[in-house]
Amino acid sequence: MPSLALLAQSLASGIFIGALYGLLGLGLSLAWGLLGQINLAHFALALLGAYLTYQLGTAGLDPLATLAIVLPAFFVFGAALHWLFARFAVSAFNSLLVTFGLTVIIEAAIQWIWSADFRRLESHYADIRYRVGTLYIPLPELLTLALAVALSLALWAALRYTDFGKALRASAEDASMAQAFGVNAKALALLLSGISAALAGVAGLCIALSYTLAPSQIYAWVGVVFAVVMLGGLGSALGPLIAGIVIGVSEALTMAFTAPSWAPLVSFSLLIALLLLRPEKI
Amino acid sequence: MLEVDRVRVSYGAAAAIVDVSLTIGDRELVCVVGPNGAGKTTLINALAGLHRIDSGALRLDGRDVSRLAPHRYCDHGIAIVPEGRRLFTGMTVRENLELGAYRRAARAKRARSLERVCALFPVLAERLEARAGALSGGQQQMVAIGRALMAEPRLLLLDEPSLGLAPLIVTALFETIRTIAASGVTMLLVEQNVALALEVASRAYVLEEGRIAAQGAPAELRRRPEIRRAYLGLTEEAR
Ligand SMILES: Nc1ncnc2c1ncn2[C@@H]1O[C@H](COP(=O)(O)OP(=O)(O)OP(=O)(O)O)[C@@H](O)[C@H]1O
Ligand SMILES: [Mg+2]
Repeated sequence: MPSLALLAQSLASGIFIGALYGLLGLGLSLAWGLLGQINLAHFALALLGAYLTYQLGTAGLDPLATLAIVLPAFFVFGAALHWLFARFAVSAFNSLLVTFGLTVIIEAAIQWIWSADFRRLESHYADIRYRVGTLYIPLPELLTLALAVALSLALWAALRYTDFGKALRASAEDASMAQAFGVNAKALALLLSGISAALAGVAGLCIALSYTLAPSQIYAWVGVVFAVVMLGGLGSALGPLIAGIVIGVSEALTMAFTAPSWAPLVSFSLLIALLLLRPEKI
Repeated sequence: MLEVDRVRVSYGAAAAIVDVSLTIGDRELVCVVGPNGAGKTTLINALAGLHRIDSGALRLDGRDVSRLAPHRYCDHGIAIVPEGRRLFTGMTVRENLELGAYRRAARAKRARSLERVCALFPVLAERLEARAGALSGGQQQMVAIGRALMAEPRLLLLDEPSLGLAPLIVTALFETIRTIAASGVTMLLVEQNVALALEVASRAYVLEEGRIAAQGAPAELRRRPEIRRAYLGLTEEAR
């Protein structure tokens, strides 16, 4: 029987990894649910963001300050990507293919620039840890959780309460009807696509602070984050965070109580259960 | 106020309306009738910017709006109650109405417009927080009309508002249409229920196979045998 300390430890680590899943899923879910664009390249973009944070951080910039460069750059990239998708009327399914191609290109670029060797950002953040009861919580993980919660809540509130959010939701349902009432649906879509890519940049920062980087890391979270996005509900801002934490904690508990190799089964078991019980949600 | 000048609209290679011209005066209620597939929806959607016209002009107070971006049409005071309502069904009634007042000029008056819509449709006042998709057909039609009124329109386009509604509700709906017209809103009404439409309209156009086949005052149209037969279900002898 595992000790209470182990239980607390796995709960905590489940919450933190879940926050990262949620953060990765947030941009993916919004673009998918509100723009009908399945951006597989979101993961490659996040890792590219991590490498950029690593590069700039190694050059002496504070990791948080790198966002000032990464976010605008990613925003423009995301907006440009959507502009191309709209220009060539790419369907949701084809967007999956196109962004898979983009993923391969970004992966190759990362390998070319940083090689396939492991890279680790040395920052003073990694050395800071807080003691909570019997647990030691590293600052990077706390930061990931804080960013995931803050951004999810902010976007949730924006979608729900602001004219911008209502216009976005209306356009997602019936773009030309929204336009008839004055919504510039095309501009909003560019904006949202930019925001989504910028969110990949934020996730990248969190990855760079907590993980050792390798190009293949791009694919590490694809499966679980897709499960998170679907469990959370497409186009939902709070859903990915909640689903992420549910899956993260379930995984961590599975690892603590059974064998680590069972953990990957958790997210897909949950997803399949949802598909069977509530197919209309997907 | 509105002048539709030799407008042509097509879907791909197939022309849906050809050489259609009509005018609507200030504060007038004009109706367009015609058989299924005549192009009525195509015409009304083109007027709301939902569909580009191939040629011709749409002049509002003398200015051609047909080259504007779709989301700019409403700036000129055009609002539509589209065929099939096309509500934002996943959003609440309140949100649907608020979206109607999205354009800048209407946004400032949003709270007052909402009160007015609720006064016009008291049932909606009780269902503001309900999902629009969960409402009955009649109530959804009220939301669609309310949404358009929230835009503070000068020209209101109504596409078959009575479709699928119970007779009692249709009577109430036409009362509402009269009320709105009396408040000074210019209207273009497309309606299957030709008898009712001719009662409220000051002028009517008959659209057949994408072309204007007849036009005139309701009384005059009612006298024409071919219209009595095709649209009013009356034989020539009947009076
Ligand atoms: N999206 C579309 N794509 C292709 N053809 C269309 C489309 N919408 C309408 N049409 C065609 O254009 C013509 C006019 O259609 P429209 O819907 O404007 O007619 P309508 O008068 O509104 O008919 P109804 O009384 O059934 O509403 C029809 O022949 C129809 O088949
Ligand atoms: Mg029609």
